[in-house]
Amino acid sequence: MAVDEGLKIELGKQGVLVTTIEELYNWGRKNSVWPMQFGLACCAIEMIATTMARYDLARFGAEVFRPSPRQADLMIISGTVTKKMAPQVVRLYNQMAEPRYVIAMGACAISGGPFKEGYNVLKGIDRYIPVDVHIPGCPPRPEALIQAFMLLQKKIDGQHLTGPDRPRFLDAEAQGEFPVPVQGEHDLEPASNPGVWTVPVVIR
Amino acid sequence: MASNPYFSLAVLFVAALGFGLTPLALAWLWAKVFSPAKPNAVKNAIYECGLVSKGDAWMQFRSAYYLYAIIFLIFDVEAVFLLPFAVAFTGLGAAACGAMLVFVLLLIEGLAWAWAKGVLTWA
Amino acid sequence: MKTVEEIRAAIEAALPGAGVEIVSNPSVSGQHSLRLRPSHAVAVAKFLRDDAELALDFLSNATGVDWPDKEVTEKVKVTRTVRKTVDGVEQDAEETVEEARKRVEPGCLEAVYHLFSVARGHGPVVIRMKTVNRTDQVELPSLTPVWRSAEFQEREIFDLYGIVFSGHPDLRRLLMWEGFKDHPMRRDYVEPDDFEYEPTAHDEVLKRAVAHQAKQEAAGTVAGAAGVGSGVAAGREGKGAGA
Repeated sequence: MAVDEGLKIELGKQGVLVTTIEELYNWGRKNSVWPMQFGLACCAIEMIATTMARYDLARFGAEVFRPSPRQADLMIISGTVTKKMAPQVVRLYNQMAEPRYVIAMGACAISGGPFKEGYNVLKGIDRYIPVDVHIPGCPPRPEALIQAFMLLQKKIDGQHLTGPDRPRFLDAEAQGEFPVPVQGEHDLEPASNPGVWTVPVVIR
Repeated sequence: MASNPYFSLAVLFVAALGFGLTPLALAWLWAKVFSPAKPNAVKNAIYECGLVSKGDAWMQFRSAYYLYAIIFLIFDVEAVFLLPFAVAFTGLGAAACGAMLVFVLLLIEGLAWAWAKGVLTWA
Repeated sequence: MKTVEEIRAAIEAALPGAGVEIVSNPSVSGQHSLRLRPSHAVAVAKFLRDDAELALDFLSNATGVDWPDKEVTEKVKVTRTVRKTVDGVEQDAEETVEEARKRVEPGCLEAVYHLFSVARGHGPVVIRMKTVNRTDQVELPSLTPVWRSAEFQEREIFDLYGIVFSGHPDLRRLLMWEGFKDHPMRRDYVEPDDFEYEPTAHDEVLKRAVAHQAKQEAAGTVAGAAGVGSGVAAGREGKGAGA
């Protein structure tokens, strides 16, 4: 299906553009990833800085922060996710139209960070929703967010329209709904979504 | 057929239809072939701020609210006419001024009537 | 500013029978506080705010303290009469024995308020109130009607310590959700057992992670990954013991 790279370059020199639907589709998608406009804690300040003139996320086609989940492609979890906030975040993720991507920004969003052993902070949002890019840092610098964004673009670019390794949103069998945790008497129930998160192997 | 004076219009009409329908058809085809729809209750929820909506949107308003809206029109219409009147004021004669005063008086009369009826008392 | 003794005297003069106690602070800061009786607390608080000389018009901070039940071991000298044989003659003899007695001192919850005066530029004056116990009699009068800034802080105390403030205009949980049963800042709060994955566990957390793993292994729901984790954890412990 794909055109030979060398041939493509040769044709390009002659002014002939050869592409596939898949390439065109991914090219369009990766250059118009619209993040959702919400911030959870101090990382949001860095996220705002990233969109401003100095770092200028608009260079990557992501300057349009949408205030509605229906119009957004990317959820940047920028900051601490408290157990009180987690159901709302998961619900918003569910309301985003597919394809949707998640960047977990900062130590709190990926693991709970300095509040990990606290009574009110979730130990990482990846317990409930699939995260595409994790950024460590407290808070990560705007450059880190931009790098995460470029990684996400690379990921989008590598996705296939058909075949067994096609992404979740193109697979009719894959689940589209991620259960919203319920605020129970002592903790969120369930404590994690086993379909999304399993206990990682500890390598020391 | 081509000599028909409406022929070019028909061509334009078809082109206009195609312009609107082709993207829709393409999108429909794309969804059909590649991306399956996976709606669910959370996704289709009306309120999109992350919270579960409480209660019904079909609630009752007091009928007095509509009277308020009508009285608001008094001031609205007044403003619409008073603004051009004020702009052209220096070039107007006494008759125009009188006509405008009559108009304002009519509106004031309406307001006074509503006031006397007790419409303006909210509670 | 007046000393706590003077403030207490002023309160007693204005409100006889208020029963204000002084809780002295032995540390360097010497920030002594006044313990109010819950029954008179609102009246005393109003006096502190409205008195021309004190004019404590600003509540900067309200917090809770949990005093758990304490087991006190004290040595008591007991005199007993013992029959003894001295020089072949049997006789009663008095004997003093030291006996260790244990008693449980019931705990309580405490609310502490720090007051300042913006008008007079002095402070802080620390006032506190105690509940009867930690379980069922946990009511204290709310000072929100006196200092409005107490509203959220009293809600927080209610949320985290479980002190019920009567007279509070809107006593709901603040940080935790409605339907949450525990009070996380109490000493006997049991955290949810979610120690399945701790990449950099050490000390207390490592102990709890190992305990969690043992529990899971006993239940037979352990995955291969967790097994690796437990092996590593044991290795770490061994290293620690060797060093």
